[in-house]
Amino acid sequence: MEVKINTQDSVTTAQLIGRLDTPASQEISGDFDNLTQFAAGTVILDCTQLQYISSSGLRLFLSLRKAAASKGGKVIVKAINNEIRSVFMMTGFLNLFEIQD
Amino acid sequence: MSKTRHLDAHCQAILDEYQNNLPRFREVEQDTKEKLKKTLADAGLLVAAIESRVKAYDSLAGKLELKGHKYNSLSDITDILGLRVITFYLDDVDKVASAVERLFTIDWENSVDKRKIHEIDSFGYLSLHYICSVPGFPYRFEIQMRTLLQHAWANMDHDTGYKSGVEIPKRYMRNMSRLAGMLELVDDEFSKIRIELTDYRRRVQALVRSGNLDEVPIDGDTFRSYLELEPFNQLNKRIAAMNQAEIQEVPLMPYLPVFKSMGLKSLGDIASVIKKYSDGAYQLACYQIGLTDLDIISSSIGPQDLCIAYILKNGGGKAGIKHMFDTLNGESDSNEMMAEMLMEQAKDLPFMNTDN
Repeated sequence: MEVKINTQDSVTTAQLIGRLDTPASQEISGDFDNLTQFAAGTVILDCTQLQYISSSGLRLFLSLRKAAASKGGKVIVKAINNEIRSVFMMTGFLNLFEIQD
Repeated sequence: MSKTRHLDAHCQAILDEYQNNLPRFREVEQDTKEKLKKTLADAGLLVAAIESRVKAYDSLAGKLELKGHKYNSLSDITDILGLRVITFYLDDVDKVASAVERLFTIDWENSVDKRKIHEIDSFGYLSLHYICSVPGFPYRFEIQMRTLLQHAWANMDHDTGYKSGVEIPKRYMRNMSRLAGMLELVDDEFSKIRIELTDYRRRVQALVRSGNLDEVPIDGDTFRSYLELEPFNQLNKRIAAMNQAEIQEVPLMPYLPVFKSMGLKSLGDIASVIKKYSDGAYQLACYQIGLTDLDIISSSIGPQDLCIAYILKNGGGKAGIKHMFDTLNGESDSNEMMAEMLMEQAKDLPFMNTDN
C-alpha cells in the first residue's frame, strides 16, 4: 500500500495505491496523521488506484473527516471503484463523504 | 483632512483633555465591548452586531465649535465613547437593556428611551439610549440598543435628514415618517412570528414526547425533535450486533427529504415504516454485511435500509432507489449502479417474497 501526498495552495491530494486492508491501514496511519495537518483546507483522497477498503481503512477516512470538520476543511473522496462504493453504502457512510466520480 | 476650527480656550482645553485620555477611552471601549459580548453570548442572545467607536478628534472639534459653551468639561459630553447593540428582534432590545443594566451603572436621568417619547401621531427614530459608567473611569459613555430595522431607518434618516444640509420639504418628511411606521409594524410582526414559532415548537415537542406522532406533520423542526428520541436506534443496534460492529453517529437530517419524497406526511407515518419494514431492512443488512468482517457502521444504516425496503416493497423499483441516493448524495450515474445492485440483492430476500 502506498500513499503519495501532494499539496498545492490549500488543496492536498493523497493518491492511495493498493489494498487498504487492516495491515495496510496500520502501515499508512502515519500518512493520515500527516494529512490531518492539511485538514483545514481541502483534502482529496484520490482512490483511482485503490482496489479494496476494510473497516480499518474506513476508520482512517472517518478520523480524517472528523479532523477536517473541526478545522472547517473538507475531505473529498475521488474515483472510488464500485466495490468500495458498495462498502460505503452497506455501512451507511456514503452520504457522509463528498464523493466525486 | 482636518478643517480649520475656531475654538476658544475653553473648548481647546476640553479637546486637550480628550487627547490626553484617548488611550483610556480606547481601553474602556475594548473592555466594555468584550463584557457585553460575553454576557449576551452566555445568555444565548444572538444579536446582529455589537459596534463601538471613540469619537474622532475632528468630530469632537466640530461639536465643540457648534455648542462648546454647553459643556463645562469633557465629562459633560457623554458620547465620546459610544457602543451600539443591534438586535434581530424588538423584544431582544429589552433583554439587551437588562444585560447592560447589570453590567454598568446607568445614569437614569440622562438615559432616554426614545421608543416612548413619540407623540401618538408621529413615527420616527426609535431607539433606547443608556448613559453608562464603570468604576475607575471618570467619563460616562453611551450605549444604543436597537433592532436591525430601527438601525436601517436611523441610517437612512441620518443620510437624508439633518446631515444633508438642506431643509427637507414636509411631503418628504411625511414619506419618511410613513416608512418609519411601516418598519415599526414589520419589527412587531417579526417578533410575533418568533413568539408563535417558539410556541409551535413547544407544542410539537410535547406531542412528540407524549407519543402522539400521528398529529405531528413532518418538517425540519418536528423531524429534529423526533430524532432526539433516537427512533432508529433499535434497528441500528440489531444490525451492528451481527458483526459486533461499532456505530458511528452521523447527522440524520438528510433523510428528511427522503421520507417526504416517499409520501410520508406525519411522524406517525415514519414510526409505522420503522415498525413495518425493520425486518426487511435487517434482512438486507444481513445479506450485505453479515458475511463480511466490516465492524463499523454509521447510524444512518437503519434509515437507509428502511427506506430501501419501503421503496422496493412499494414498487418504487430501481428509479425509486436511485432517487433516494440522488437526494442523499447528489445526482450521479453510480447511484443507478447501486440501485441495480440493490434490486438484485433484494429480490431473493424473505421480505420481498411475503405479502406483509
